[in-house]
Amino acid sequence: MAAQEPENLRELGERLDDAQKRNAKRDVRPPPTQLGIASRFATELVAALLVGGALGWGLDWLFGFFGIHTRPLFIVVFFVLGAAAGIRNVMRAATELNAEIAAHPATSAKDDKET
Amino acid sequence: MAMNPMEQFTIKPIVPLYIGGYDVSFTNQSLLMVVVAVAASLFLTLAMTRRRLVPSRTQSMAEMSYEFVANMIQSSTGEDGLRFFPFVFTLFVFVLFSNFFGMVPGSFTVTSQIAVTFALASLVILTVIVTGFAKHGIGFLKLFVPKAPLPLLFLLVPIEVISFLTRPISLSVRLFANMLAGHTMLAVFAGFVVLLGGAGGVLSVLSIAPMFLIVAIMLLELLVAFLQAYVFAILTCIYLNEALHLHDHH
Repeated sequence: MAAQEPENLRELGERLDDAQKRNAKRDVRPPPTQLGIASRFATELVAALLVGGALGWGLDWLFGFFGIHTRPLFIVVFFVLGAAAGIRNVMRAATELNAEIAAHPATSAKDDKET
Repeated sequence: MAMNPMEQFTIKPIVPLYIGGYDVSFTNQSLLMVVVAVAASLFLTLAMTRRRLVPSRTQSMAEMSYEFVANMIQSSTGEDGLRFFPFVFTLFVFVLFSNFFGMVPGSFTVTSQIAVTFALASLVILTVIVTGFAKHGIGFLKLFVPKAPLPLLFLLVPIEVISFLTRPISLSVRLFANMLAGHTMLAVFAGFVVLLGGAGGVLSVLSIAPMFLIVAIMLLELLVAFLQAYVFAILTCIYLNEALHLHDHH
């Protein structure tokens, strides 16, 4: 009885290794969906515009608080910078997605045909 | 019966409470957050109380979620990111359970409130900032200085700063918008069933069509619930990775 158990366990270990090897190719991470990609890009772009506008508005307010009148200047400049930051965000998100898609050869092949 | 699809997101006080003029009532939102926290803790502790080498179903669920998050951290931040395992795992489990508890008809979706998701995202970004300064000191600010000629830096540094400040917003808005949109859609189609059913005649029979659609959307929402929790956790890992290894990433 006592001698049998390690034998059983070793056999179980071998079976587990086999099962894991079979499943190794299947990544546990879900592949990015088209809707997910679209919503990701949209939020990145819009959020950057909002942050840029808010920063500019805040700076205008700050300068106005100290009696320097800059009202439209900073909000305009930072809105444009926000747009640039949004594009930067999308570029960064695209590189991340490319890396992720590269980890899913099956889906990437399908996506290549679509685009 | 309320036909407003947004009615499900209203916060109703259960135990009204005012401290120093502030409304700190115990609401349906707080109740669901307590339920989520208790359920998650109970599930994980109970699943691991009767540990066996060959795991039971619940034990293997707990182990799988552990390994899932551990693999995610390891693949995106490397070995030293595993110090943040408790943080990322808690975030993942909390968001996942909130999303799933929101799927129970008649309950309340905690993550459909921007206040909750933004608080979570701020926590992530604050952790990133503290980690970055603790690890690299003032050198963490190099994160905002890309490799470029000096005159361009006057333009690029503000852009990088704005880009960094975007993160808590896009992180919180993504989760909040997904949950809000999904649950609104469900409520709208549920409204169709009631309207068609009450219309009488042939139209009443037709009300079965949106019913089937709700079942389909429900399945989709279950996927979204998991996917959004995953996205929240993986982005946390990516941001932590940047704070840990400054410009190593491509």
